[in-house]
Amino acid sequence: MSWLSRFINALRPKPLDDDLRDELADHLERRAADLRKQGLSDEDARRQAALRFGNATQLREQSREIRLSTILETTLQDLRYAVRGMRKSPAFALTAILSLALAIGANTAIYSIVDAALLRPLPVPEPERLFTLATPNIEEPGSEPHMERESFSYPMYQQFRAAAGDSARLALFSYLWGRQSVQIPDAGAPVERAVQQYVSGEAFEILRVSPALGRLFSAEDDRVPGGHPVAVISHDYWQRRFHTDPHILGQRLRVGETVYSIIGVARQGFFGVEPGKFVDIWLPAMMYNKAALTSPSWSWFRILGRLSQGATPAVLQARLQPALRDHDEELLQRSPTLPPSIRKQYRDLVLRVNPGAVGASAFREIFARPLWIVWGVAAGILLIACANVASLLLARSSARSAEMAMRISLGAGRSRLVRQLLTESLLLAAMAGGFGWAMARLAAPALVAMLSRENDPVRFALAMDTRALLFCAAVCTLATVFFGLLPAWQASGAQPMLELRGVRAQAGKLRLGRFFVGIQVAFAFCLVIAGASFLFSLRNLFAVEKGFDAQGVAVIEVSNELTRKEAQAVFLDQFQRRIAALPGIQDATTAEVAIFEELTITGQVTLPGKPPSEKYEIFYRISPGYFATLRTPLLSGRDFEPRDRHARGTGQPVPAIVNQAFAERYFGGENPLGKTFQRAPVNHRIVGVAANAHYASLREGAEPIVYTPLEGGSYFALHVRSPLDLGSVVRMVEREATAMGSGTRVREVTTLETLVGNTLLKEKLLAGIGGAFAFLGLLLAAIGLFGLLNYSVTRRTKEIGIRAALGARPPALIFLVLNDMFSMIAAGLIVGLVGSLAFMTLVRSLLFGIRPLDPLVITTAAAVFLAAAFIAGGLPASRAANIDPMVALRHE
Amino acid sequence: MASAQTALDLLVLTVLGRRGPLHGYGIANAIEELSDEALRIDEGSLYPALHRMEESGWISAEWTFTENKRRARLYQLTRAGKKQVAVETDRWSSLSSGVARVLRHA
Repeated sequence: MSWLSRFINALRPKPLDDDLRDELADHLERRAADLRKQGLSDEDARRQAALRFGNATQLREQSREIRLSTILETTLQDLRYAVRGMRKSPAFALTAILSLALAIGANTAIYSIVDAALLRPLPVPEPERLFTLATPNIEEPGSEPHMERESFSYPMYQQFRAAAGDSARLALFSYLWGRQSVQIPDAGAPVERAVQQYVSGEAFEILRVSPALGRLFSAEDDRVPGGHPVAVISHDYWQRRFHTDPHILGQRLRVGETVYSIIGVARQGFFGVEPGKFVDIWLPAMMYNKAALTSPSWSWFRILGRLSQGATPAVLQARLQPALRDHDEELLQRSPTLPPSIRKQYRDLVLRVNPGAVGASAFREIFARPLWIVWGVAAGILLIACANVASLLLARSSARSAEMAMRISLGAGRSRLVRQLLTESLLLAAMAGGFGWAMARLAAPALVAMLSRENDPVRFALAMDTRALLFCAAVCTLATVFFGLLPAWQASGAQPMLELRGVRAQAGKLRLGRFFVGIQVAFAFCLVIAGASFLFSLRNLFAVEKGFDAQGVAVIEVSNELTRKEAQAVFLDQFQRRIAALPGIQDATTAEVAIFEELTITGQVTLPGKPPSEKYEIFYRISPGYFATLRTPLLSGRDFEPRDRHARGTGQPVPAIVNQAFAERYFGGENPLGKTFQRAPVNHRIVGVAANAHYASLREGAEPIVYTPLEGGSYFALHVRSPLDLGSVVRMVEREATAMGSGTRVREVTTLETLVGNTLLKEKLLAGIGGAFAFLGLLLAAIGLFGLLNYSVTRRTKEIGIRAALGARPPALIFLVLNDMFSMIAAGLIVGLVGSLAFMTLVRSLLFGIRPLDPLVITTAAAVFLAAAFIAGGLPASRAANIDPMVALRHE
Repeated sequence: MASAQTALDLLVLTVLGRRGPLHGYGIANAIEELSDEALRIDEGSLYPALHRMEESGWISAEWTFTENKRRARLYQLTRAGKKQVAVETDRWSSLSSGVARVLRHA
């Protein structure tokens, strides 16, 4: 019986029992048959047979015990043997365990994130009945294709609910905007930050989430716009902020201008429907901006619902599609200026009912692809580590071939030896798994931190739970089979006669070794190319001419309680003048929002006598001094002046500054200064032309931008350029804000560099992990290469000695070894190159400024790889060069 | 007990060595037959012994099908088993001669 079937026995005693029963039944039948031949009646024969047999049940029990205890016993024996083997060669054990541990740790850490972000269903009953709604994205001409649009307006939601009828229940979940301010409305209470979400009244009911305390929303809490100042908080927030205070119900919270009172706490473990985000406070949808509840063009939430028993997504789709068509038709009638290409897209729009078991996540949209890629890279590392350990095992098995031969000649079966060697591998893998697990526990949260933005943390229920543990164990087992089976098979095939005569069957071993090194080289080269492309991509993005100087610019969002536009305008001028006058501050300006915050206001441009433009251009409201503060050159014309804030409503065109890209698109070679255009209903006259600057992304080329004067506003972004550190700048601004009065308060604080960096999180993740894994893969491959070359030099000591004796000089001997190495890695390099081509094609959309087969990337990767190979090959080569012919010839 | 077990083991191994592959029933019959029915073992107790020796690697077993489609298990001596026969024979002769000496001189 092979070890595998024994293992199966131990896990599933059922077939074993069947076997025993069959065997005993066979015996009884035969005995009875013989007795019948002797003339006994059928009944007597049976009784006699049973009598002679004795107590069958007891015997079956005995037999069962024997088999199972032998399994345990031999396993223990094998384990003891394995531990002894490891103690004997600690360097081998350490290298093997460490490289496997790194690989297993990396895989487990990434798995735990992939699982939490992409795979694990929401922690609610029957998640497979949940769905989300989406439509294909409306593509503007020339814009990058996006995946899907999941946002809907409130009127659309109402129409969908009516159309769905009894086939499904729909709930809305507003988009999350990072942490927003919240305040306990007592005098002097500080402003805190919490993640808030507006949900429809039945949301919790539909998800089937129960309260831990109090009650959750019902349809009654979501009837009258502005009429339900109640809030539900998450269990996590209850613990974190209120220390699980049992008297929390009725606690008041100020969010925006409204004071809510807490009516309940959602049950533990429910974090919302967006993996990657933990919602702290839920508010009724009716408490959202009143205009948003009636506007068909204000899309502010996702729709997630639950199918009724018996309903299918197709049925639901068929019911909702007409509602979408009506809604879009109405929208098209209201917006006659929409370009025809977009009108056509609206008409062809098909609603999608997507599976919603894993929730709806903005995080996922951005990071799903990078995470899969990173996981793929981690799997590559695991393969390299396995091949590495396999070649180490091979090298070691050659040292033990005499022992194997001895045991075979003493009668040990091959399967027994394979089983023993595999136990050793399994022990290695288990120990590595233990370390890997510990590593993953530390690495996973660190990895998540890499994905987080300031003020918008990414959080996962990263409980390193049974799923991750099972995954880790599965990886270990798989690894054991990968790296253990071939060497074990080869080792156990030792031929005692040859072995004991001192003739070693090493050709096969070396061939297998070369195969493993080939695998390592191929994967490692692939990883190095991947790592290099991601690193070069990031460098290319950093090197993009942004059109502004982000370094040293603090972005401080400030609010006040002024309501009249005139007063706000006066405030803006005074405030930015006072800040600019502070010591250590070089420039200060204000703007509606900060760039690179994903907040873009666009509009169609209408030149005199022409139809509205197809493209929607960026309109950005700024104050005087903006270009100086950001160091964006003003190429011609003038900057804004304080009086420009009041230009609207005077009958005169509002001054505008455009960038070069805009000037080129709309005025070609003509001088744009003094030209007018309309963004309905406002007329603009161009008073200045600025150099191109990126607005929201470094990836896209410079987009056309129209700068218009910031007219007022009680919430704005102060930009301050200063060599001082952020903390000191903020303290000065806070003092100034207090001095200004009018309820002026500092809200969000960040730097322009951070904002720009936030748009590169994906690229930083890939470059960081890609680079680290490339290094790891390179290291492992170098160790493998070194091991095999070293072994090969040992084996060829005699040959090299003879060559040296015949007059070969050290360089020739070094060449001999290096030549050997090149023959080993050449095939791997070619396979790796082909593999990386496929990889690069797969990830092309994540790269920037890198062509497939980019010569710079490939040359760099090859140079790095060859350098590592030379280091790995140099030691064995120098050993070969220093072989003393006399010693070598006496060897063996 | 240990010696009784040894005796049974030795009998089984010897039978398998001389007669080639047999199923449990065949082994039981052979033992009876060879000892002229002087040694009638409890037939069932044969099976734990067979399984124990199988786990020790002295004998191997495989499933076959009988003419009337019943599963039957066929036992066979392994290389290790052959060596074991020699060892057990040795041990048995020394034990039995020891017992004989005691009987004679007591």
